[in-house]
Amino acid sequence: MVFLAAASPAPAQSPSVLDILAQELNRNFTALKQKGEPAAYFLSYEVAEQDFRGISGTLGTIASTNNAKDRVLDVSVRVGSPKLDNYRQVIGERTQFTRGALLSFEDNSNAIKRRVWIETDRAYRAAAERLIRIKTNAEVKVAASDDSDDFSDQPPSTYQKAPPKLQFDEAAWTARIRNLSARFANYPGILTSHVQVTAQTDTRYFVNTEGTRVLHGRGYARVTVSAEAKAMDGADLNTGETFEAVEASGLPKDEVILAGIDRVAKDLTALLRAPEAEPFVGPAIFSGRAAGVFFHEIFGHRVEGHRQKDESEGQTFTKSVGTKVLPDFLSVVFDPTRRKIGDIDLFGWYDYDDEGVKARPVVAVDKGVLKTFLMSRSPIHGFDSSNSHGRRQPGYEVVSRQSNLIVQSTKAVSDAQLHNMLVDEIKRQGKPYGLYFADITGGFTTTGRNGLQAFKVIPLVVYRVYADGRPDELVRGADIVGTPLASFAKILATSDKTQVFNGYCGAESGSVPVSAVSPAILVSEIEIEKKAKSQDRPPLLPIPFKTETPRSAQ
Amino acid sequence: MKALLFAAAMLAAGLVISAQAPPADPIIRAMHDELDRSLKLTVPNLEKPYFIEYLLDDNDSFNVSATLGGLTRRRRERFRNLEVRVRVGDYKFDNTNYSGSDINFGTRYDLERFPLDDSYPVLRRYFWLETDTEYKSAVEAIARKRAALRNLNVNEQLSDFAHVEPVHLLRDFQKLNIDEDGWSNRVRKLSAIFDQYPEVEASNVEFRSGDGGYYLLNSEGTEVRVPDRTTSLRVRAEARAPDGMRVRDAVSIQTAEATGMPGEAELTRSVQTLAQRVTALTHADKGEDYSGPVLFEGTAGAQIFAEVLGRNLALTRRPVIDSRRNLAVPASELDGRLGARILPDTFDVWDDPLLKEWRGKPLFGSFEVDREGVLPKKLHLIENGTLKGYLLTRQPVRGGGDGSNGHARMPGQYGASTAGVSNLFVTASTTVPLLELRRRLQELVSMRGKPYGIVVREMDFPSSMSVEDARRILAGVSAGGALPVSMPIQIYRVYPDGREVLMRGMQFRGFSARSLKDILAAGDDLNRFDFLDSAVPFALMGAASYESNATVVAPSILIDDLELHPVEEEQPRLPVVPAPELVK
Repeated sequence: MVFLAAASPAPAQSPSVLDILAQELNRNFTALKQKGEPAAYFLSYEVAEQDFRGISGTLGTIASTNNAKDRVLDVSVRVGSPKLDNYRQVIGERTQFTRGALLSFEDNSNAIKRRVWIETDRAYRAAAERLIRIKTNAEVKVAASDDSDDFSDQPPSTYQKAPPKLQFDEAAWTARIRNLSARFANYPGILTSHVQVTAQTDTRYFVNTEGTRVLHGRGYARVTVSAEAKAMDGADLNTGETFEAVEASGLPKDEVILAGIDRVAKDLTALLRAPEAEPFVGPAIFSGRAAGVFFHEIFGHRVEGHRQKDESEGQTFTKSVGTKVLPDFLSVVFDPTRRKIGDIDLFGWYDYDDEGVKARPVVAVDKGVLKTFLMSRSPIHGFDSSNSHGRRQPGYEVVSRQSNLIVQSTKAVSDAQLHNMLVDEIKRQGKPYGLYFADITGGFTTTGRNGLQAFKVIPLVVYRVYADGRPDELVRGADIVGTPLASFAKILATSDKTQVFNGYCGAESGSVPVSAVSPAILVSEIEIEKKAKSQDRPPLLPIPFKTETPRSAQ
Repeated sequence: MKALLFAAAMLAAGLVISAQAPPADPIIRAMHDELDRSLKLTVPNLEKPYFIEYLLDDNDSFNVSATLGGLTRRRRERFRNLEVRVRVGDYKFDNTNYSGSDINFGTRYDLERFPLDDSYPVLRRYFWLETDTEYKSAVEAIARKRAALRNLNVNEQLSDFAHVEPVHLLRDFQKLNIDEDGWSNRVRKLSAIFDQYPEVEASNVEFRSGDGGYYLLNSEGTEVRVPDRTTSLRVRAEARAPDGMRVRDAVSIQTAEATGMPGEAELTRSVQTLAQRVTALTHADKGEDYSGPVLFEGTAGAQIFAEVLGRNLALTRRPVIDSRRNLAVPASELDGRLGARILPDTFDVWDDPLLKEWRGKPLFGSFEVDREGVLPKKLHLIENGTLKGYLLTRQPVRGGGDGSNGHARMPGQYGASTAGVSNLFVTASTTVPLLELRRRLQELVSMRGKPYGIVVREMDFPSSMSVEDARRILAGVSAGGALPVSMPIQIYRVYPDGREVLMRGMQFRGFSARSLKDILAAGDDLNRFDFLDSAVPFALMGAASYESNATVVAPSILIDDLELHPVEEEQPRLPVVPAPELVK
């Protein structure tokens, strides 16, 4: 049998990407370890293979279709030793050795090996140069307060599970996007609107010189609805909604998306007539989604491990481990192994992180007490090893990032009770009204010492809630501002229902998919300011064409 | 009048003329209707637009690249891109030719990509919102321009916009008809040729075929719809000499349609030749300083005219600049030299966009109407060595008379378009056979007691260098200074006994349009060079978002008193790890 098989004319099975990478890894590492000056002590290759489809439409027409497949290679070479290597953090410097080189998406050994070799050479040269510079710098500058090593130990992993092939019915989605986007024709006050569907599979191949060989991946599918209008005073207004799933087939049915579009359009139409928000300090409720973003910005980014080490960072929590940072009825878990909440797919799960470390849940805050940070393989004082949160967008260097942020509460009440508590709080503080943040688009936070060390989240839909029983009143143009530590102390209670916010988070290592899961929260005090506003007038001419579709939604 | 005659002649050839009947094309109808409405725009205290133009590119393209037998990219993309130009003021003085003319002062509506379906109401909405943005910016720009002028003395008052006759020219677009799998296989196969050439470190084969065209409507009555199609195959290869110097070469083949591409056997030969040339370059001699006569043989002659003459025939006008800003505007070397002798008096140069073929093959640079909707003319640019005119757009320039000659070929700056060559012909009334050119080179060399002369057979134009390399060179050019000429890639020392030695890493120093006066002789050959021109320096391959088709036909030339010097940068060390072996 063996002879038969050997003699059979069947073509030799072509080697897998993982094999090709492993061969080139060994060949390059052997030489760089023996002949490199300085010698390399670690080498890894990560290949991100992305198969992508997208269709975008506006008002019943298709505006673009995308269909792409590519592979991007990231090389990490470490020279020196784990104690001090070329990745050492130095104030005011951003390390960037990899550049995300385009690799053949076919399993062709010649094509892949040549590119891997060229990129390894390039990354090695940059690494060697930086190590020499750092050694000089280390002798000149005062020692940093965190003198941890630059790279942690990690036992090797082996895992091979390719994600399912991308399934996307282009013809069906083209028709659906036309149909869905046409819905906005019912709302003549809206200037621009878009409905987009994207579906992709992301396969990652990872090999390193410690013996890790990992192949994993997953799908991401999303429908994005967005609309824009301009108020008579020039303010630009926009609303939007997204729906996510792992595969396109898991995205909601048209009725659900159409209902979402109507919500987006009605909110925007109402915002056009809404009064402008006034600067305000007082109690508020954040919906679950809004609270998720709030936690992601003001808490999540501040427990990313590398920030505790960087001397230019504000280091809000660096010395707070073991102390109370949130009310004791709250816990925060980052769980990349959690795939769903209820029937909603999460965006922030993965099997392995971008350093080949197997995903595991991390309890960051337990009953209000800070337990740990989100760790990549860059150690910080008191935390020597990775907890599977080293992540990146292809083409960037890995740093510690969030996954699925999940807020858990033991002081949970029904939504109605939470509302009553808000009313009580308004009365207690003697305020004319409180606020309800129904939706939020995301925000940003500055964690650097040179910045304001504050945060800003951008609410899309905000209501004034009156204590005297008047109906809630929509307002526009509010920005939440504040400093993080002050905000945490003011959480009074939460709702007993959680909501999911799926999105992409941008930071040093690029854009990575994340989720934030939280119940609605009641805070005793929040501050809003007026949003910077365009001075530009609305279009000078009226809409050119009276739309033919019925205006039922008016 | 000329335009009307032209249109009447085209009617017989199946051209649609839309004088009375409403246009059937929903895009033209929507452009037309929104343009009419926008012209009537009256806002208290704001000037009315005196000119509005819509330029919509509609393109469907297929793109595939590979290296060493593996595809790296494969993409089919359809897109439309709208450019709206709004002018306020009048032809004499408007919002353009000002350093802030391209700045968007108002709201940019979130329009994303232009719709691909022809829904009349949606088209109207897009034209409406884009016009609104551009109008608001135009009004702001003219106010700022006036303010800036209060602090400036302007010597010479040029108008801001040239009058032209309206043009009606409606042609149908072709659908992109491309065998995607067939071309993917061909590109993969061509890229695998480098498997046989291990010394070539990096190589890439890229094929692109695009079809479609553009619509152009303006408030002067111009209505244009013309096809715009280009297919190109670019092959690049790079290697390293033993001292670490990087060497490279490229082949670029372009035609209008994919069916016009050479057959597989010829493409294979081109790629093999490229691989051999780059391999040879790794073993080539590092050159040394040289000053003396240089013979540009074959294509190299045409490349020199394309780069040194062609680009300078388009003038850049200095905009009105805010006193706070410091803006360097590179000027053409031929600015202000109308009537001066710039080539030997045996030379004539003309540009003819209307000529369709040359020596039985279709010309690559031909076009019917330019990107401002102006019908082009054949231009006699240089007669008996004397500069007679420039390539002109609707932006008035010094020495450019009072109108366009239909050579707006690329997007430009400060509200204007950039002029470019179409089919540029360079001829000499006195020529000598190539052998005689060689003999004269040898003669000069021995007369001056030099050990050897120089022959260049290929220039790196359009350049295949990386964007990083180009940036490094540009950083070394002083503000407003002239760009260096691109590098000679196939350059040889020729010894008195006829022996040739290939060199690498040589650069010209001080080669400018003035050097062309020192042309000693022209060959009796005429070489045709097709290329994709762009507004970026060195027409860097693949770096521009818009490229225009061009051809230069020119003889071999012998130029005296050129200076060459070797690249002086330190060379990187060779890689620690040897290259992986290639499996053949």
